[in-house]
Amino acid sequence: MSYFLPCLYAFIACVGFDFLYNIRGRRLVTTSLGGALGWFVYLSCYWFDNDIPRYFLATVAISIYAEIMARVDKVPVIVYLITAILPLVPGGGMYYTMEYWLMGDASAFAEKGSQTMMIAGAIALAVVLVSSLVRMWKTMRRLRYLKHIGKQLH
Amino acid sequence: MNDWYQQLLNQAVNVGYALLANGAEIYRVEESIQRILLAYGVKGAEVFAIPTCITTTVFNENNEAITQIRRLYQKTTNFDTVEQVNDLCRHICQDKPDPAWIESELQRIAQRPIYPLKWLIFGYAVASFGFTLFFGGSLSDAFCALVLGIIIRLVATAMESLATNAFFINVVNSGIIALIALGTVHFSLAQSADKIIIGALMLLVPGVAITNSIRDVIAGDLVAGLMRMTEALMVATAIAVGAGGALTISQYLWGG
Repeated sequence: MSYFLPCLYAFIACVGFDFLYNIRGRRLVTTSLGGALGWFVYLSCYWFDNDIPRYFLATVAISIYAEIMARVDKVPVIVYLITAILPLVPGGGMYYTMEYWLMGDASAFAEKGSQTMMIAGAIALAVVLVSSLVRMWKTMRRLRYLKHIGKQLH
Repeated sequence: MNDWYQQLLNQAVNVGYALLANGAEIYRVEESIQRILLAYGVKGAEVFAIPTCITTTVFNENNEAITQIRRLYQKTTNFDTVEQVNDLCRHICQDKPDPAWIESELQRIAQRPIYPLKWLIFGYAVASFGFTLFFGGSLSDAFCALVLGIIIRLVATAMESLATNAFFINVVNSGIIALIALGTVHFSLAQSADKIIIGALMLLVPGVAITNSIRDVIAGDLVAGLMRMTEALMVATAIAVGAGGALTISQYLWGG
């Protein structure tokens, strides 16, 4: 239950961003559900003492959701992906990094900056991982299908 | 015959341009153009896209190269268009329609509705409201952020109509956010200024851009990735300049 409100807030924020991306109709709900799902996974993985794997796993969940929904809804995966990763992306981290830089606080800048890049990297890696696996799976199915056709012809 | 190649190239690049200008990934732009060209049975096609430019070469039957460079200046994120153009692209590859038909289809897609300003303002308000709560702000903080969301959209629209660049708009908007957030906390209308600031700033900060840039780099689009990263860092710098300036000013106005 303690997870419900944060996920709801993530959902609301995602709905707002859908208007910026010209996403319409029932997709306002389905894309934003991905954002809530990602934050739910992030919160559920509380046993990690490091943030990075939590971001990674949350993004893996979002990517799988996006791949499935993109096929159900017949849209490019990016439509579901971008809205859903919004609550995870380190916008605040970017801001603080640049603020430390402008204030001349070199050590805080380096620390915040590397943490921000790690989070962004973990999210990007998770997205690429899932999309690569899906692509491999699709290729494998096509190859098997071609083999099957080939056998029938012989 | 070269006329036909010219027309085909024009329309293929138009499709890619529509994708790129509305926020599709680099690989999707390159793949779409190449697939369309190859679907029509050309001898060869090479595409190179970066976030600001598309270069396409098509080879005719005499192995003569016809090249087109299309520069992109203005970019939005419109996933409705991306989806429609993506559908169109798939359809083109299957049915190989007349290039003139592709042009009319692209025009039809360009005329599809986008949210009018009042709904955009609504989106800004809801997003900053949601993010302030999401980052742990109280309800009064969230309503303060909601108002800020409306204000920065109006300011951005006004400044865009005066042909200001994005850097300056971000400086002004983040300054407004920080100044008003600190002001409301000073007059006890809200509790925590940093929650309001970061919640409303989520509308401006390039979190998705930095993530996408790393994605591009991992996928092998190194130039595109570096360009987007530079872009994201510039946006973050603009926001930090604006907010930093506002924090200094507010110390004089409201004493911290």
